Amino acid sequence: MMQWITGIAAISLAALPLASLPAPALAQAPKPATGTLTIGFGAEATMMDPTRSAAGVDQYYFGQMFEQLTRTDPSLKPINWLAESWTLRQEEGKPVIEVKLRPGVTFHNGDPLTSADFEFAVKRQSNPKISRWTHLLAAVEAFEVIDDLNFRIRFKEGDGSFTAGNLILWAVPKTHLEKVGDEEFARNPVGTGPWKFVSRTVKDELRLEAYDGYWNKEHRPTVKNLVVKVIPEDLTRVAAFKTGAIDWIDAVPPAMVEEFKTLPGVQTGSFVTPNNMYIAMDAIGEKSPFRDVRVRQALAHAIDVDAIIKRVLFGQGERYVQVGKGSIGYDPDLKPYSYDPKKARQLLTEAGFPRGFEVPCYNLTTPREPYQKEVGEAYFAYATSVGIRCKVVGMEYGNWITFGRRDRQGHIDGLYSNMWGHGLPGDPGTPWAGHMHSYVPGQGWGVTSVHNDPELDEMVRELKRTMDLAARDALIKKIARVKHERVAGGLPTYRPVATFAWRDHVTFKPWPSPGFWRGMQEIGLKQ
Amino acid sequence: MSGFLARRLMQGLVSIVGASVIIFLISRMSGDPILILLPNDAPPSLIEETRRNLGLDLPLWTQYFIFAKNALVGDFGNSYRWEMPALDLILDRLPATVELAIFGLLFSVAIAVPVGVMSAVHRGGWIDRIGRVFAMLGQAMPAFWVGLLLILVFAIHLNWLPAFGRGTPSHIILPAIALGWYPVAAQTRIVRSAMLDVLDSDHIRLSRALGTPERLIVWKYALRNAAVPLLTMLGVYFAAMLGGAFVVETIFAWPGVGRTVVEAVFSRDFPVVQAGVLFTSILFVLSNLLVDISYGVVDPRIRDAR
Repeated sequence: MMQWITGIAAISLAALPLASLPAPALAQAPKPATGTLTIGFGAEATMMDPTRSAAGVDQYYFGQMFEQLTRTDPSLKPINWLAESWTLRQEEGKPVIEVKLRPGVTFHNGDPLTSADFEFAVKRQSNPKISRWTHLLAAVEAFEVIDDLNFRIRFKEGDGSFTAGNLILWAVPKTHLEKVGDEEFARNPVGTGPWKFVSRTVKDELRLEAYDGYWNKEHRPTVKNLVVKVIPEDLTRVAAFKTGAIDWIDAVPPAMVEEFKTLPGVQTGSFVTPNNMYIAMDAIGEKSPFRDVRVRQALAHAIDVDAIIKRVLFGQGERYVQVGKGSIGYDPDLKPYSYDPKKARQLLTEAGFPRGFEVPCYNLTTPREPYQKEVGEAYFAYATSVGIRCKVVGMEYGNWITFGRRDRQGHIDGLYSNMWGHGLPGDPGTPWAGHMHSYVPGQGWGVTSVHNDPELDEMVRELKRTMDLAARDALIKKIARVKHERVAGGLPTYRPVATFAWRDHVTFKPWPSPGFWRGMQEIGLKQ
Repeated sequence: MSGFLARRLMQGLVSIVGASVIIFLISRMSGDPILILLPNDAPPSLIEETRRNLGLDLPLWTQYFIFAKNALVGDFGNSYRWEMPALDLILDRLPATVELAIFGLLFSVAIAVPVGVMSAVHRGGWIDRIGRVFAMLGQAMPAFWVGLLLILVFAIHLNWLPAFGRGTPSHIILPAIALGWYPVAAQTRIVRSAMLDVLDSDHIRLSRALGTPERLIVWKYALRNAAVPLLTMLGVYFAAMLGGAFVVETIFAWPGVGRTVVEAVFSRDFPVVQAGVLFTSILFVLSNLLVDISYGVVDPRIRDAR
């Protein structure tokens, strides 16, 4: 049942896959940063305050200025960050996390980072008038300040998304925020990160300056000014890079990646992003053929995902089987269904559909991930070729994103090209609770689910309660195997790859989070 | 004249109110913003709380009444996504869009008038034929394609002009051409046909008989008369450019209101959509009013008739 940690013995960090920063990180004296770099992002944030953030893309921007207690390093290894150490233990059957803050961390206005700032962060994030992420703290029972650098979080019950999500909280300056108020703080954000806010022109640019008082002397920018230009159109962003208007470019269009790799004086880097693409199938509709596991397996054998990645995405995708490489619970032994249309037809015949059947297939027509519309069309063409005859229905973004919600009337029928996201390296617990666990009205389970499997439901609930990362890893592997065998909660296909390019005079070491490899933690100009 | 303007103003007001009702209803029919705003795993209690906070739990007519009452004093509410006043979001971006539309219009007129006039003067000749081909090409090339072509040639290959953004005077050149390119064709045809009519008229024949230089006849007397139908269309084109600048704004990363409103439509950000559409409607009405006034300036007969 529960992989639950009992007793009151603290689990030391050495037992968790977390590591502290090497000593030189704090010891080396920094060289003064000079110069200016201009970079081009394809998407724009709405909100600069991490507590009030409304979308994942916001992290591209506020993630340069704000920090969390833990994060992942460029090799996708979880490390302590603002937390010098933390422990998870059980007291009277309830989890308790105790955090020791790193000393010497200051906000951009000079205020020292203390436990009171995190107490304030919890209060702020628990207020639905301020935050859209109150549910992430629903299991928190109490926050106790021990002293300036130590605090304790008591939980009513286990909440795995807390430990899997870098301990959720973002450091915000209590005294400053109480003085200036929410609106002013959103206009002029103050964090502890390597970059401090200078100015922002919506739809145009964000200007940042390297923070001289930044605590991490090793992993920090070596350029003084950073100008982030917002350039949504692919070709324009490419033109801006080619003409030298920007030194670093986000999301090189997949069709141009090979060209960029051959450009003289240009470096490129390709990174898997945290969106997990999949095809949802109606496995609960009374007359839906996808209730039968053989039909779901037929679909899995019908689609040549590798060919789609190669031909439609120009190689800019990575196939995954339930859990992406590097994520908690990744199982290298779990292999994808082979592309085998003959077997797909055979499975359909065994399931009682020798002549196939017709089904609505919903596709996103406005771009969210590169070539997503074309990928959806390819899925549905493959499905049609074995007898799952798709009547393709195109949907614009606003309609598409709410279409799968179970708290509207009814539920999706047929097939639905969809995706689930998480951080990097990521943990599938929360997404599985949303799209694999069966729908339970009013309780937050299965909000986009068209699947019903009581055994898997129980396993997902156990995962939700499991806070220990090693235990989560084992449990996720176990669930993934069952999920894979039953093609439950949809058919996983690929994770998009983003390619960045920068000029030779730029030094850039991408950090996976926050900002999904767009963290400008270590960027600079070559001396 | 003043009675005429008052009537036109009243008609404009009715149009603006009508636009506000339509956009209010259509935006609410397009979907539930709460489901876009909140993460998938948001519990029902948070969904309901957010709906209450945004006033979306009220009956539709109550929501419209509140919107209309507040809009009268310039309060369109806070953007759901940006959490800042929707009006500020629109007004901050409006100058960029107006600037782009003005320069787009200037570009189109600067090309259309000489090409149209020359085509009419040299009717059937090679200049006329080239002019017509030119006009046809303009209609056949949509703004996004022209924009990308301009970036490719003038930004990437020649490196003469910036590919994106707003700032120096050189930044406006490519977006203005991309925006102004499409109406050039229609404007050229209007000028050409109006000029042909005027050049055939009695007063032009009389001027020629009196020995007035041809240059003066064409560029002063004939063009002034031929300008009335063009002026009528300019108001419409200017309004269309304000509303339709979205594509060009996106291609050139121009920080205008069009891009803001279209993105707000996708995210069901009702306050921004409402503020954006209402301001575009106001500009549309004002530009048409200016056109009406300009008739009188160009043609005294119209002024006197009113």
